[in-house]
Amino acid sequence: MKNSKYLFLAILASSLFFTACDDDDNVQMNEEELITTVELTFTENGNVTTFAFRDTDGDGGNPPVIDPIQLTSGTAYSIAVRFLDESNSSDIEDITVEVQEESDEHLVCFSTTGNLEDVTINDTDSAGNPLGLIADLTAGQAGNGTLTVVLKHQPDKALTNPCSTGETDVEVTFEVEIQ
Amino acid sequence: MHQLRNLLSLLLLAAFPFLSFGQKCDATLCGTVLDADTKEPIAFAEVFIQETAKGVTTDDAGKFHFHNLCEGNYTVESRHIGCPHVAKEIVIQGNVEVDFRLRHGLDLDEIVVKAQSLSPVSTQSEQQLIGLKLDALKGQTLGDALANLQGVSTLNTGSSISKPVIRGLHSNRVLLLTDGVRQEGQQWGLDHGPEIDPYLAGEMTVVMGANSVRYGADALGGVILIKPKPLRDMVGIGGEVNLAGFSNGQTGVISAAIDGKLKGNLPLSGRLQGTFKRGGNTQTPDYFLENTGVKEQNFSGTVGLKKGAFDSEIFYSLFQTDLGIFEGAHIGNTTDLQTAIGRGRPIDDGKFTYEIGRPMQRVAHHLLKAKTAWSMPDFGKLSLQYARQFNRRQEFDAHKSFGTLPEGLENPEIEFEITTHTLDMTLEHKPIQHFSGSFGAQLMQQKNTTDRGGLIPNYDTQTFGVFWIERWRKYPFPLELEAGLRYDIRQMNIKNQGNEIIDKQLSFNNLSGTFGAIYKLPKYLNIKLHFGTAWRAPSVSELYSDGVHHGSASYELGNVNLISERAFSTNLAFDLTIPNQHSETGFRASLALYQNEVNDFIYLQPQAQPVLTIRGAFPAFEYQQTDAQLRGLDWTANWQFSPQWELESGASILRAIDKKTEEFLIFMPADNFSHSLTWFPAFLKNQAAKTTNLKMTMRNVLQQTHLPEGQDFAAAPNGYTLFDVAFSTSFNINNQPLNIGLAVQNLFNTAYRSYLNRLRYFSDEMGRNISVRLKYSF
Repeated sequence: MKNSKYLFLAILASSLFFTACDDDDNVQMNEEELITTVELTFTENGNVTTFAFRDTDGDGGNPPVIDPIQLTSGTAYSIAVRFLDESNSSDIEDITVEVQEESDEHLVCFSTTGNLEDVTINDTDSAGNPLGLIADLTAGQAGNGTLTVVLKHQPDKALTNPCSTGETDVEVTFEVEIQ
Repeated sequence: MHQLRNLLSLLLLAAFPFLSFGQKCDATLCGTVLDADTKEPIAFAEVFIQETAKGVTTDDAGKFHFHNLCEGNYTVESRHIGCPHVAKEIVIQGNVEVDFRLRHGLDLDEIVVKAQSLSPVSTQSEQQLIGLKLDALKGQTLGDALANLQGVSTLNTGSSISKPVIRGLHSNRVLLLTDGVRQEGQQWGLDHGPEIDPYLAGEMTVVMGANSVRYGADALGGVILIKPKPLRDMVGIGGEVNLAGFSNGQTGVISAAIDGKLKGNLPLSGRLQGTFKRGGNTQTPDYFLENTGVKEQNFSGTVGLKKGAFDSEIFYSLFQTDLGIFEGAHIGNTTDLQTAIGRGRPIDDGKFTYEIGRPMQRVAHHLLKAKTAWSMPDFGKLSLQYARQFNRRQEFDAHKSFGTLPEGLENPEIEFEITTHTLDMTLEHKPIQHFSGSFGAQLMQQKNTTDRGGLIPNYDTQTFGVFWIERWRKYPFPLELEAGLRYDIRQMNIKNQGNEIIDKQLSFNNLSGTFGAIYKLPKYLNIKLHFGTAWRAPSVSELYSDGVHHGSASYELGNVNLISERAFSTNLAFDLTIPNQHSETGFRASLALYQNEVNDFIYLQPQAQPVLTIRGAFPAFEYQQTDAQLRGLDWTANWQFSPQWELESGASILRAIDKKTEEFLIFMPADNFSHSLTWFPAFLKNQAAKTTNLKMTMRNVLQQTHLPEGQDFAAAPNGYTLFDVAFSTSFNINNQPLNIGLAVQNLFNTAYRSYLNRLRYFSDEMGRNISVRLKYSF
C-alpha cells in the first residue's frame, strides 16, 4: 500500500511536468510563395507580344497593374501563360514550373466576351487531359472584348465543365482592343 | 510597471481598516447530511454558508464542520448531485449542530437555474449545467453542450467547431474561465472554437449580460465558468470512466479520471484525467460532409493540499485537437463562392472516412496553474493564483502554398502562438455587519506571435486590473444588494505584421461597474434587477486585419482608429417556484428581460468598392463602429403535473439593431423555442427510480427575418423543427453506479440549415445522430 502511495505521487508529479514546458519555439517566418503576376505571351507569325496582370505587393496595398491587350482583327494567336512570383524583385520565381509538375491537379480556364472567339486549349496534363498553359485564340472583327484567365486547383477534369469545380488560385480579366 | 505595483500595495493598505472586527468568532457549526428517504448518510454532499461564501464537503459518514465562525445569522445550504438543495436559516451563538435531509428528486437533473445552486445567488441571470444533465451532454463540443441553455446559441463552422454565443454576443465579447483562469486563445476568430475539454467540467455556468467586475474587461455579453469537480476529500482512491459513441461521424469518446487522497500527515489529494475523441466525416440526411473528422486528445493532472488554514493546488492541462474543415467550402474567390452557393450542396455524396486532410486546423492549449488560499479567521480568505497558458493554432489551407514541398501537414499556412502569464490576488473579507465582499487585482502579460501568414501582427499585451465588490444582506430583510467597481488598463505593443514593421504602442483604460438587487417575495417569487457596464479594447485583428478571409471570400480591412466598446446592460429576472403535491419544485418558471446597449460596437461594414486581387475581386469589409442595441427575453418553465410526467418549455427571443442606421445587426441568433416532456417510471424503486427517465424534446428555430438589407451572400435559411429522444437509467455493479444513456438527436433525419453556421451556404446540418453513453464511477 505504501508503495502504491508513492507510485501515485510520482505519477502525479511527473504528469504535471513532462509536457508543461512546451514553449515558444520561434519558427522562422515562412516566406510563402504567392502568384503576383500572370503573363500572357501572344505569338502570331513570329511576332511576339506580352501582356501582364501585376500585383507585386500582393492583395490590398497598391492596386494591380493590368496591361490592355491589343490584337489585330482576324488573326489567330498562340497564347503561352506564365505565373510568376515577383514579390521580391531580386528573386523572381516562375510558379509555372510547379503548375507543370502537378499538371493533373491544375487547369487554366479561359473565357471571352466581345469580338473574341473561344479559346482552345492546346496542351495536356500528365493524364492526357487539357492543361491550358498553351492555347489558341482568334481575334474577330475590330472592337472590344475581355479575356479572363483562371487557374484552378484540383478541378474535376472528368466533368464536361471542369472550370466550375475546384478552388480558384488565380482569376484575372484583361481588357482587349481589336484593331 | 512600477506604478502598477505601487497601486497594488496602496490598495492592500487601504483594505486593512475593513479587516478588523469586534465580533466573537470561535463558533463551530457541524452536522450530518442524510438521504431523506433512506436515512443513510450522504458522502460528498456540499454544505455552504452563503454569508461567508465558504463550502465544505461531507465525509464518508455524511458529516461536516465549519470552524471559527462569528456569531450571527447565516443561511446554510446543502446540495448533492441529483437532489434539490436545502437551505436553512441558522442563528449561531456558540456551537451549533444542524442536520440536512436531502431528497434525491428526479426533477432537478436538468439545468438548474442558479437560484438553487450553492454559491451566493447571483443578481444577474445565470444558468447552469450540472449533474446528470451535464453528463447527458458529454461527448459533444463545449459550445453545443452550452447551447442547451436558454439564451445561449452557437456560432458554428461545420459540425466540429462551435463557439458559444450569449444573447447574440460571442468571441472577444464573452469570457471563458476554467477554474478561475481566463482562457487566452485566439478568441477573435469566428472559426476558433474554445480549447477546453468538456469532460473537465463538473459544472458549467453561464452568466448573462455585462459582467466584468470580477472577471476582467471584455465580458460585454457574458461569462462562461467551467468548474472541475472538487478534489477527493476522503482518504482512498476513486474515479470514473466515461464512454460515448455517436452514430453520426462514427465518433467515439473515452474519458477517465482517477482521484486519490493520501493517508497520514501529508493530506495530498490528486487527480489524473484524460480524454480521447475520434470522429470521422459527419453525414447530413443526403450526403457525407467530406473532411469533417475530428481528433482530440486531452490530459490533465491536479495535486491539492489542504492543511490548516491553507488550501493549495497545482493544475496542468493539455488540450490538443485536429479538426477537418468541410471540403465543399473550398473557396478561392467570389466566383467559387457563388458557384458553391448556387450548387446548394457538395458536388459528390462523399463517403465515410476517419482521415483528416487539408483544409484543417491543429490546436494545442496548455495551462499550468498554481493557487493557494489562506483562510485567516480574523480577516477572511486570501487567494493567490498564477497561471501560464500557451496556445498554438495552426491552419492548413486546402491548397498547400506554392514552393513548399512535400505536400503534407508539416507546413501550415497560418500559425499563431500566444503565451500568457496571469497573476490573480483576491481577498474575500469576513462579513462586516451585513456586508460581505471581496477585492482583488489581476496582472496579465501576453506575447502573441504570428509565425506564418501575417494575418495579424505580432504584439505584446499587458493588462492590470483592480476590483472591489460588496454585497449587503440583512436577514430576514427580503432585499439583497450588490455593487462593484473595477478599473483596468491594457497596453498593446504592436511589433510587426509579416515583414512590415508597425512598432506602435496602444493604451486603453476604463472602468467597469455592477449593481444588482434581489428581492424575495414571500414564498414563491424572487425578483432580480441588475445593471452592468463593461468595456472592451479593440482586438488586434479588428485594428490590423488586412487580407482575404478564408472561407467567407471577403476582404477584411482593419481600422487603427478604433476606440473601446462600452456596454450598458440591464437585466430584470423573475424566478417563480411553486410546490405541488408531486414535488417541492412542482412548478418553476423564470423570465429574464434584458437590454444591452453597446456603444461604439465594432462590426464589419460592407464597402462600396471591392478589392481587386490576382484571384479576382472580393467584396470589401472594413471594421467600423456604431451604437448597437440588443434586447430580448429568455424564458424557461417546468411543470411536474403528475408523479410520472414533467413538462418543460423554453424560449429565447432577441432583437439587435444598429442604432445609427436603424437596421438590424447581421448574424444574430434567430428566435427559438423548445418543449420537452419527461416520463419517470414511478413504479421503479431506489436508485433506478432516481435516474431513470425518458425525455422527448422538440426544438423549433424560426427563420431569421430581422436582417440588414443586402449584406449576406445568401438568404437566411428556413426555420426548422427537430425532435430528440433521450433515455437514461442506472444500476449498480459491485455496489458502484453505472449510468447509461441512449439518445437520438434529429430523430426524423430532417435536412436543415442553421443561420449561425458559417457553412450553411454550402451544406446541410448533420442528420440523425444516435448516441450511447456509459459512466462507471468507482
